[in-house]
This record gives sequence, C-alpha cells and structure tokens, in this order.
Amino acid sequence: MSKQVYVDPKATRAPRTITFADIDVNKYQKAVKDELGNIPNADLVQIYKDMLYVREFETMIQNIKQTGAYQGTEYNHPGPAHLGIGQEAAYVGQAYLLTTDDYSFGSHRSHGEIIARAMRAVETLPEDKLLEIMKGFDGGKIMKVIGDSSDDIRMVGRNFVLYGMTAETFGRENGFNRGLGGSMHAFFTPFGVYPNNAIVGGSGPIAPGAALYKLSNRKPGIVVCNIGDGSLACGPVWEGMVFSTMDQIRELWGDEFTGMPILFNIWNNSYAMGGQPVGETMGMHDHARIGAGLMPNELHAEKIDGYNPLAVIDAYRRKKDIVKEDGPVLFDIVTYRYSGHSPSDASTYRTKEEIEAWEKEDSIEAYGKQLIEAGLATEADLGDMKAAVTEDMHRNMKLAIDEKISPRIDVFGKTPNAIGDLMFSNQEVRSFDTTRKAEVNMPYEESPRAVMFAKKERKGIDEKGNLVGKNKVYQIRDALAEPILKKFYEDPTLIAFGEDVRDWGGAYAVYRGFTETIPYHRFFNSPISEAAIVGAGVGYAMSGGRAVVEIMYADFLGRAGDELFNQLSKWQAMSAGVLKMPVVVRMSVGSKYGAQHSQDWSALCAHIPGLKVVFPATPYDAKGLMQSAINGTDPVIFFESQRIYDYGERFHLEGVPEAEYEIPIGEPDVKREGSDVTILSIGATLYRVVEAADILKEKYGISAEIIDARSLVPFNYEKVIESVKKTGRIIVTGDACERNSFMRNLASNITELAFDYLDAPPVVVGAKDWITPAHELEKCFFPQPSWIIDAIHERLLPIPGYVPSHNCTTLEQIRENAAGV
Amino acid sequence: MATAIIMPRNGQSVESCIITSWNKKVGDEVHVGDILFAYETDKSSFEEEAKMDGTLLAILHEEGDDVPCLENVCVIGAPGEDISEFTGGAAAAPAAEEAPKAEAASAPVPEKEAAPAAKATAEKAVGVSPRARNTAARLGVDLANVTPTGPNGRIIERDVLAAEKSTSAALKAGVPAGVTGTGLGGRITTADIENAKNAPKAAEAAPAAAPAAAAAPASVGYRDEKITRMRSIIGKSMKKSLQEIPQLTHMMSYDTTQIAAFRAALKAAPETLGLPKITINDIVLFAVSRVLLNHPALNANTIDENTMRFFDHVHLGMAVDTPRGLMVPTIFNADQKSLAEIAVEAKELAAKCQEGSISPDLLSGASFTVSNVGTMGVEYFTPVINPPQTGILGVGGMTDRIKVVDGAVKPYKAMGLSLSFDHAAIDGAGAAKFLKELATALENFQSLLAK
Repeated sequence: MSKQVYVDPKATRAPRTITFADIDVNKYQKAVKDELGNIPNADLVQIYKDMLYVREFETMIQNIKQTGAYQGTEYNHPGPAHLGIGQEAAYVGQAYLLTTDDYSFGSHRSHGEIIARAMRAVETLPEDKLLEIMKGFDGGKIMKVIGDSSDDIRMVGRNFVLYGMTAETFGRENGFNRGLGGSMHAFFTPFGVYPNNAIVGGSGPIAPGAALYKLSNRKPGIVVCNIGDGSLACGPVWEGMVFSTMDQIRELWGDEFTGMPILFNIWNNSYAMGGQPVGETMGMHDHARIGAGLMPNELHAEKIDGYNPLAVIDAYRRKKDIVKEDGPVLFDIVTYRYSGHSPSDASTYRTKEEIEAWEKEDSIEAYGKQLIEAGLATEADLGDMKAAVTEDMHRNMKLAIDEKISPRIDVFGKTPNAIGDLMFSNQEVRSFDTTRKAEVNMPYEESPRAVMFAKKERKGIDEKGNLVGKNKVYQIRDALAEPILKKFYEDPTLIAFGEDVRDWGGAYAVYRGFTETIPYHRFFNSPISEAAIVGAGVGYAMSGGRAVVEIMYADFLGRAGDELFNQLSKWQAMSAGVLKMPVVVRMSVGSKYGAQHSQDWSALCAHIPGLKVVFPATPYDAKGLMQSAINGTDPVIFFESQRIYDYGERFHLEGVPEAEYEIPIGEPDVKREGSDVTILSIGATLYRVVEAADILKEKYGISAEIIDARSLVPFNYEKVIESVKKTGRIIVTGDACERNSFMRNLASNITELAFDYLDAPPVVVGAKDWITPAHELEKCFFPQPSWIIDAIHERLLPIPGYVPSHNCTTLEQIRENAAGV
Repeated sequence: MATAIIMPRNGQSVESCIITSWNKKVGDEVHVGDILFAYETDKSSFEEEAKMDGTLLAILHEEGDDVPCLENVCVIGAPGEDISEFTGGAAAAPAAEEAPKAEAASAPVPEKEAAPAAKATAEKAVGVSPRARNTAARLGVDLANVTPTGPNGRIIERDVLAAEKSTSAALKAGVPAGVTGTGLGGRITTADIENAKNAPKAAEAAPAAAPAAAAAPASVGYRDEKITRMRSIIGKSMKKSLQEIPQLTHMMSYDTTQIAAFRAALKAAPETLGLPKITINDIVLFAVSRVLLNHPALNANTIDENTMRFFDHVHLGMAVDTPRGLMVPTIFNADQKSLAEIAVEAKELAAKCQEGSISPDLLSGASFTVSNVGTMGVEYFTPVINPPQTGILGVGGMTDRIKVVDGAVKPYKAMGLSLSFDHAAIDGAGAAKFLKELATALENFQSLLAK
C-alpha cells in the first residue's frame, strides 16, 4: 500500500494489448579465433585450463564414488556427489567477468561454479591481496598444508582452491567450512562465492537478499543467483524473482535506485533430477520466456549456448552492467551433464545415444580444437595441460584424505561440543557498519513515532492501582517498535520489510510512524511472498547486514518453511562460523480470525536447531528482548500475540524505561511469587494465568507462583526448578495446541529435572488439538482461567468442594489421544 | 555335539555354589564318572562327575567363582566343535529371561479386550508423589498412616503434612512429658528427646483430649480406635527386628543362693564402707560385663552384610521402664567398673530417664542390652534384639525350685535368664556357652568378685 501510486480507474479499465519483445536464443556463434584481440591470449588458454580443473575435480569424485580410487589412490567417500561433468564451459564462462565484488549463490550441483569462480579470482586478484586472503583464512590453516614457498603465487592459489574444496567435500576440518558444509554447501566468500544450497532453488529467495544488501547499502558488484532449470517449478524461486522485480525500487525509492542488481542464471541441462522440464514436467519450453512474464523489460532475458564458454562470456560482457543499472537480468544457459544426477543414478531416464551425442560435442574438446585452430596451443600443449591438472588434483586429493594432515573436527575426542558451539554466534554487534551514518529522513526526536513515545505513560498501572487507559499507555507495540526505531539510527545496515509495514505500519501498527522517518530502501512493503521475505533476510545477513523481517501471522510461516528451517537456522553452523545471521523474524499469534490465522507455532521453530525463539507478553519484556535480538548476531524468531499488543506494563511497576536495556534471551521471569503451585506461561496466557491465580488466592486460599517463559530457545530451567522445589506442583500453559507443543517439552524437562520435588506430574494446559473456531467459540478452544483451576483440582491438588467445569482428567487425556484430537 | 555342564542345584534353597577345585583342564579327555570339579555350599561339599565321554572344551568359571545354580560351568564335546553358544554364560540367561516375558505377555490378554489403558487409570492408583515421599522421610511420617487426597488416590504432600499435624497433636495429648518413643519397641531415641525439647509446651496439653480421637463405641459392645502413632511405630520396629534378624532365645535358670547371701551380707555391712544399695539387677549387670568379653560375637554390632564390629569393652544397655516409654541408657565401659560403680551409675541413669533429663548421648552406643522384667513375675521371655546389637539378656523373676544334692532334695530360689541372640552373628552352641558361663558366674558370684 502506498499513497504515491494512484490507481486510475480510467487507465486501469482502458482497452489495450500486451506486447512482448523477441527473446534471443543462441545468437552468439563465434570461436576462439574470433575473439583474438578481444580477450587476452593468456586468458583464452586459461579458460581451457580452468575447464580442465573443473572436470578433473568432478572426475576425481566420480572415480572415488564408482571405483573407490582416483589415480590409484584409494578412498571412500560416503557423502553426496552431485557432479556437473559436461557443464564446465558454462561455469568457466560465467566466472570470467565476475570479480570478488560479485556474489554468486549456487545449488547442490555447484562444485564447478565454485572452482571456476575461485580459479578466476586466483588469476585476477592482485598478488598481495590474494596472499592476504589465503593467509588470513581461518588462521592460515590451508596455507600451512599446501605451503606458500612457491614463487608462483597463482599456483599456490590453485592448490588453495583444489585442496580447500576437496577437504570440504570430504568433511575435513581444513575445508573452506571446516567440513561442516560439505559438497552441497561449500563456499568461499573472499572470492565472491556465497553459499550453495542443497535445496533445489534454495538460493532463489536468498540471492535477492544479497542484491538488496548491495542496493540498499550502495555496494559495488552484482549478485548471481545460480539455479537449475528444475528449480523454476519451485514457488520460492518465483517469490525471489517477484521480490527482485518490485516496481517500487524504480518508482518510489528515489532516482539513484534503478533496479535490483541480480542475475538469475539458469543452468538449463534439460533435466530436473530425471524429470524433463521440457516435454514432461513443465511447459515453458524456453525458460528465458519467463523474463517476459515478470517485467515489461522482460528481464533482458536471453538463452545462451553454455557449451561454448565464449558465448557465456559474451552474454556477461553485454549484460553485466545492465544487471547493475536495470536488474534483474535472466539468463537461460544451455548445458548438459554426462554424469548422473548422483552416483546412484543409472540414467534410466535418457538414452545412451543422447549422452554420446553430447559427448561428441564436448565443450572442452571443442574448445581445445579452437585453441589449436587459433594458434594459441598445440596438441602437445593441451596434453601437457591435462597432465598438469591431473597431477595438481591428485596431489591435493592425497593431502585432503591424509588423516594426519587433514583431520576431521575432533567431536569424538578433544572438542565434543565443536558443532554445538557453532549453532549460535552469541555475539553483540551494535552496528554492522560503523564507517558511515545511517540514512534516515529526520533526527530521532522529530520522528512521529518518537514524538508519540514521549507522550506515552510508561507505567501500565497508575498510583491508585488502576490500569492506565489504552490511548495513553506505552503498549507492547511501542515496546517492540522503540528499539527497532533507535537501531535504524545506530546501524546503517538495518533494514526492515514485510507485508504492509510502511503506511499501514504493519497489520498491527507496530511500525506506525516509521514511514516518514525511514527511507524506502531501508524500510519497505514486500510482496506477499513469505519465502522471499525470510529468504531475503537470510541473503541480506549473509552479505553483512542486519534485517528485521515480518511475516504478519505465525500461520504463514509454513509459506517460509525452507527459509526458516533449512536456511536461516543452519547457515551459521554450516559455514563453521564464517557467516552470522542477525535476522529477527517477527510474527504474530492471532485470535478471532479462525483456523488459519490463530495458531501459535512456536514449537515448530523451537524444534529446529539453530533458531532462537522468544515470546514476550509484557512491554518491559518485549522491549528488552527485542533489544537483545537486534544487538545480537543470531536469528531470532519473535512471536508476538495480537491479543495484547495494546497492553501496558502491569508487572514491572517502575514502567518501561526509555533508555536502552537488554533482557537476555533464555531467562524466564517470575511474575508473581507464590507457594502452592507454579504456573509457567508462554505468551499471552500470562494474563489468564493472573486471573486464575487471583481466583485461587481469593476463593480457595491457594497461592500460585507465576512464571513467564519469555523465551523458548534457549531456556534456562533454573528458576523454574527452584520454583517447583518450593511449590511441588506445576502447570504449563500457552495458546499453542497442546500436542507436541513447547509446553510439552517444558513439562518433560521439568519432570526429569525436578522429579524428586514434584507432588504430581507437570500438567499441560494448552489449546485443544482442533482447528481454531470462530471468535465466539474460542473459549472452548484456548486455555481459560477456569481450565487452569480445573487442572489444579483434577491433577495436582484437589480443592474441597470445587466443581470443575472442564474435563482435564487423565481419562479424558487418554480418550483425546486415542482419537487423535 | 558339545554339551554344557551346569552347576547343579543341591537343595531348593541353594542359589549358588563356589567352585573349590578343577580336576580337569581344557583339552583333557573326559570319561563318564571322572570328577570334573569340586564345589561347595555354605553347608557342604560336592563333586561333579562327568556324565558323558568327550573332551573338556571350555571352562566357563574358575576356582573360587561363586556360580549361580543351573548356569553353565564347562563344556564337553569333540575337539574343534563350536562352543560359542555356551561361552560367557549368555546362552542360559536369555532363555531364562524369555520365559517370564512370555508369561507376562500372555497374562494381560483377557484384559486387553476390555480397553486396558482406560481401566488402569480408572482404578484407584494408590501411589505416593516423590515430593510426598521426601516430605514424609524428612518429618518421619509413616506413609501407612497417611490418608491420600490427591488425584487418583495418590498421597500428595499435603496429606503427609496433615498426618504429621494430627499425629503430633495426638501425641501432645497422650504423652505427659511430651516425648514420643519412635525407636525400636517404642524406645525413646535421641531424636525424640530433641523433638521434645523443641516442643516444651507439650507437657501442658490436656490428657483428656486423647479419647477425642476415638470413634464412637458401637452398640454391639466394642469400639474401633485408630492405632496411635506410638503403637504403630513400636509394631513396625518390632516387626523389623524380628523379620530381619534371625534371632532365637536360649533359656536357663541358675541358683541364686550365693548372690542372695551376698546381698544379705552387703546389707549388714558397716556404713563406714560407704557401699551403695546393690540390687540383683546390678549384680547381673556386673556379671554380664565380666563374662561378655569372653564372647566377642555377643559384644558386637552388625554394621552391614559384610561387616561386624567387635568392641574392646562392654557397653551395657539397660532397659528402663518410664511413664513415657521404654528407655535404654548405656553404661559405658562396664567391664572396667566395680560392682559399686555399676550400681551407682545404673541408679543415676534410671533416675535421669524417669526425670527425662537423660543426655541423648547416653541413649545409644550399647554393645549388648540387659532387660529385666523379673519384678513383674515373668520367669522367662523372648526379648527382642535391639539392632545393630547381636544379643539381649532378659532377666526373669525368682521362683522356688528344688534340686537333689547328695541324695537329698533341697529347695532353692532360681532366677530365669533368657538370651536372645542373632544367629547370623553367633551359633546356638556359642550362645549357650555364654549363658552357661554367666549362670556359673552368678552361682559362684564371690569367686567372680575375686577375679
């Protein structure tokens, strides 16, 4: 929603025709001799050698997988191997014009991309810079193995690439990511090689985030999103494309913003694993066609013969600047893999004749002939190059499989927690770029929201003990907004986006008044593309920035499943700490809106290793936890409840300080002390617990201790155990459906940790395992104060004379479980 | 086919046997009737003969091993045969385990049809919460006396607290001095004294409150009363001693003629000697303190299954009947004290027990106990051992008896001695020797004094 774009009924309803420009296919038909003078001779030869390196690496893996040996050296590699033998020309052609300012993201079949780009960086970086990168990487561990005595620093660089990549593939600590990324996730950012992704199309929504980083922070270079033809059937890839083609960049962000600097580079090898996108599983025929569907400029799309490295170089030569000035651009690059999808692939889906026909046109063979034809090499030169490449590969392979030289992370010995220690970076980084001023439209004090904050009453309860009126009180939505607004002034890389965040202020007005304060390129409405929203946050953070993204309702997180569960959560550890992931994903838990808008899915997030999960229920906690989240370096899933956005601070009687403070993530809080029963609450049930506790105290003389979980991951049980030691009884409650909820996790751990102190097993009072009904029926679904008292009576501490209204006996529990409801 | 030889079960109560020697080595030829190995139980020794010809292929337990009955001991067969199924004794064990499993699996079948899960929960699951159990242990509340009010009939903490509250109220009402004996046989323990100190007002409580706890008498001529906590504890500790200690009682009487004369002489002794009043009981205590050292197994404590503690000196426990309950103060190092010293100390201790001023330190540490109920006319009885001691002497009253001396019938006063002893610590003969020696010493008391 934006007031700037007028929707003119006359223009909208006027008759017209949509036209498309022609899209070129395989227009480039030149050979080496035609590029003499355009491309330096040495480079023309090096292109050949780099293709050999790519093929030799893949051949090495293939031989190990299929015969248990390479060049007579035996080795067993049980891990994955998705090889791209046949695709070398496309990889090397792409790498030729990319510099280390250009970030490329890849797929599970990306060994070739990585090696091609890294070899190109080795050839083109200034020697001192190259040496600095290699010596500086992870304490110089690779240099210690390959040695830097050679006069030929480029040769040292080639060894660096081959060894680092092989060690990574084989899960060795000396690999680019300490062996924690492996074959499908390897990368090396100093050379511009960003994470590759085992999820088909995984980079589709992530790479746009990197492009956004370059755009918003005015960084040089472009972003290349390498995806296969099969991934064009994946929703998140489309979301990434739509996110990258948003009109607002050109229309609303200002004159200097002319497009998203991203190139969608489709490796079109005609197979999606074994399925055939053309003729079988999809209907595009020419994938370049989709450019026309996405933007009037048709994404400058073209289809390029990736069997000729010079054709790919030509395309990048013509379009690289356009990516920067009028991106995105889309390339549909024709290629072919002889190797199977993986070693277990018997190629049953294609004929021998087809493979042989492509092998006859093998790009390396053909290019070698062109070199001879152009007088740049003899047959003997080519043979020498092949022998040298094989020797380089074999030498580095032997180093990489040597258990002494290239051990694995010692998780069975000295460093059993090595992987656990990498799950979170747990750092405090107040700003990710202290060299420049944050771009804002006005001083903080003049921001309409800051003006509003100043007028708010920061205490939720007045001196007489009454609740302060909603219009006056500093609410949870204010507490969420205040640290973010301030962070916009402190960290110039901070960016926030999501659906309707700008003029609307987000569906629940948390960002109200930000529109005037923060320029578009730091704060904008995204398309309704949850995968792209979270994915772009991931790519943005990988590139070095901080993002707060919002997906409105927790119910929508399924739409960003891969991005939350495989990407956001995993990359810190899969990169062995190279990458940080300072991304806060905000989502609200609804009510009133029925089955698909009222779910607390915190347990899904808590289940996934690598995510911090918080769910504050008071303004004081919301502000402190948000501050911790945006001062930190880890991904934080920030649950908010729509029921209580307008609540003032009712527990912290001094009110919510204006000054910054942090509440450590992972520490529950005792909201009210008591002696007979502990009630541990997640999220908005806190207020129903208070009601229940008041009734217990006034009517039944039972003193309840109330603990607010505040965080789910991490979670420090000490306070809860201390409480249970005192009371002997505990109820865990929250608005999530009871089955497999985080409440169950809490109850299970409390049982184990405080068993000897328990007077009864912990009881979970969650929502029913049903759909959420209409608002008028919600009291039969969500935990109510009476349910808590019923549970105390029926499961913990029978109250003389009490008549429960709700069946929470063990018999009912058995019946419900037997019925699966 | 290779065959395993098992450890035979020689008697229903035998659980395991110790191999004392091997007569064959692995690889030896074995013929029917050859002795394979010798073994023993705590009672007897046996030899196991071969019941088949062959070669000894494996010895699965060595000399000195305590082998459970029916477990494989060795394997006989043809050279080279596979014996893996017998090695490690694993072969027999799973088979044994399987059988009960099969039973367990078949047993619930009839119930299964009637939704067993629901039934299980519907039944009153009488359990005790971990917290309630801990609280009961801390407060010394017997869970048997706790009325459950928790979900599904579970005893929860408040039930323990309620029981503790009502018990202490009842005790306050019923025991004048406010001290409740919670030790064995209702004996007052250190903790009881401490508890009494902590509740000084207990003595002021009105005794009339006790019947309030009683149920209304039934019209048919009986009344049900809740068993008091004290009786319950006495019952429980008596049961514990009798269940856990294999105890039995030897009884014997002796002729008190000499000690009666001795007492008469003492009474006639001039005051200048400053002798205290010396009772028959003092004389028995003195005699025990002298004789006991010759029988270390009775001057001992059982520390645990594997350890006995033998004392260098005799520390005599002395049962004292008080209005608050039975108390047992200790005369430490009685063997080093004179009769007069013992008499004085016994009197002092008894007086302090009556007053309730006895030091808790004097209520424990005895190596042997003497209990005297003779004044009530009991001739013999079976005193119950006070763990961890190994013996207790019951002193009975005097009765007239006759015996034949030099062909003439002669009347005399006899006194009964009842020695309960722990058969785990000492055999019957040993205990009888002590009793006989004690009787002899008492019959020749003046000689004992001279010793």
